[in-house]
Amino acid sequence: MKSFIINRIAYALLILFFVTILVFSLARLLPGDPIQAAAMFNADLSNQEIVSELRARYGLDKPIYIQYVIWLKDFIQGDWGTSLGSGEDVLEMFFRRLPITLELFAGSVFWSLIIGLPLGVISAVKRNSWLDAILTTTSIFGVSIPVFWEGIILIYLFAVIFPILPPSGYVPFAESPIDNILSVILPTFVMGTHGAGLFARYVRSSLLEVLGQDYIRTARAKGLREKSILLVHAAKPAMIPVVTIIGLAWGYVVSGSFLVEYMFAIPGLGRMGVDAVFARDFPVIQATLVMVTVNILLVNLAVDLLYGYLDPRVRVRGNLGQ
Amino acid sequence: MSSSVFQNQSSHRISTHGVGSVLRSIFAYRISCVGFVIILMLVIMAVFAPSIAPQDPNVQDLYHVLEGPSRRHLLGTDDVGRDLLSRVIYGARVSLLVGLISTAFSAIIGVFVGLIAGYKGGITDMIIMRITDTFMCIPGLILLLVMAAALGPGIHNIIIAITLLGWTGFARIVRGQVLIIRELPYIEAAHAAGASGFRIMFKHLLPNAMAPVIIAVSMTIGGSIMLESAAAFLGLGVQPPTPSWGEALRIGYSYLEIVPLFSIAPGLMITLAVLAFNFLGDGLRDALDPRLRGEGKKVE
Repeated sequence: MKSFIINRIAYALLILFFVTILVFSLARLLPGDPIQAAAMFNADLSNQEIVSELRARYGLDKPIYIQYVIWLKDFIQGDWGTSLGSGEDVLEMFFRRLPITLELFAGSVFWSLIIGLPLGVISAVKRNSWLDAILTTTSIFGVSIPVFWEGIILIYLFAVIFPILPPSGYVPFAESPIDNILSVILPTFVMGTHGAGLFARYVRSSLLEVLGQDYIRTARAKGLREKSILLVHAAKPAMIPVVTIIGLAWGYVVSGSFLVEYMFAIPGLGRMGVDAVFARDFPVIQATLVMVTVNILLVNLAVDLLYGYLDPRVRVRGNLGQ
Repeated sequence: MSSSVFQNQSSHRISTHGVGSVLRSIFAYRISCVGFVIILMLVIMAVFAPSIAPQDPNVQDLYHVLEGPSRRHLLGTDDVGRDLLSRVIYGARVSLLVGLISTAFSAIIGVFVGLIAGYKGGITDMIIMRITDTFMCIPGLILLLVMAAALGPGIHNIIIAITLLGWTGFARIVRGQVLIIRELPYIEAAHAAGASGFRIMFKHLLPNAMAPVIIAVSMTIGGSIMLESAAAFLGLGVQPPTPSWGEALRIGYSYLEIVPLFSIAPGLMITLAVLAFNFLGDGLRDALDPRLRGEGKKVE
């Protein structure tokens, strides 16, 4: 187990290193001169001296690979630079917005599980019935519906026709707990839909697999009730492969947060990322992309370790998916 | 994934499902039929848009902006008085074009890279797989957003950006298949007969790795259409005045309370298109690859 853990962590670090190179190059590929963008509001660009001083201050006068090394070193040390747009410290911006996005993440995982798991279990238990057919189709629908369209439909239903929820905006929990919950219901539901569809489908196939095992037949032969077979004997082994889907579902939650925070005007990290792309604010873009990747790698690492812990075969086989 | 686990699952599935699996295949077949019919309708809509659309999608009528449905404009008009129905019909062109072309490029690149990685193995395989891992651990939409901004708007750049994201999935699938197939005796026989690496890859490995690729093509077209519309929704899609569903949705969203159809209609078309390709892919999966029957998206 120990070498398995070390192996997975080393792998995650390697990928993270590659990602920093990709992210850095991408941010530099953005058209438009960052200095022009940054200094539009607060400096005289016709003055060449000021421009070259600004270039030197942001290290833009050095070769690109030196810039990368400097950036990486600073980034690891917690110096994420300042936003070219607002002049704020990027690290501070990030941590101020982090709780908002984490709340959305938690909410969408809640919806994914509370909808996806029961749907999958019902489909599996009533397999090949009409109910199963309807639920399976529903889960494909859940995986296919674009986040922004679902958001528009729900806003139209619950904010325009039946005005019971706010159409957009975010209320901090400290300000008003009830308004806070109300303001995140729609965004989190929209973010969680994709995951719900994935979970439903995966739980169904995994449970069907387990229900076909010999020991389930033995349990039936012993005269155990279906309910206790399902809950006691089938549920746990069926959940093990479902763990692997968490990583995939998480990716959708994270990218969903970008669209959802944009359309619901929620001042979280997704919104910060989208705004930064529009403004060519590359310190912010780099920080967002790297932290998104760190987040995804951590979740996948946790999933791998959990899976390795639950299913010893994985540990022997080595890397997941290799 | 190891081949032994895989084979275990497959023999197990076949032995336990029996009648149920047949029933499910029939239903899955019906589902893929629905998908196929929707796709066919969308293709007809895109190809014959000029004959089907009641009006020129680009003619503005500033005296009739943001109107609800009427006899003249069945779905109403947009913010500059263009006929919404016509724009929705023409919008199929951009979505299908981006979906089909970027998936075709992704599949070609991915299949090629995956074949090489799986067949050569060793350091080549390791480098290629670490590159695909790198691309895959950044969520597609977020990477697309930055790439679209880096390349600039326009249909060509969107296709390039989506292709850059899409090939990794194909590479992984093909590589996984090749790793299983290359251990089979007939490949050894081909080696013994003196077949070249190129011949083995394209003549012997590729045809037997095609089933999951075909399934992935269908799913990837759906995914690409979704990505394109997401980029357009954020204003990074095709340039106006080209009619595009995502772009219409973006503008229509701000007028949701006045003319809900402005955003709901194009959004419905995006959903239908994505759904259709996912339905088709699902049915194809059941038909072509019994080992994957009933599973969600293939996850390793």
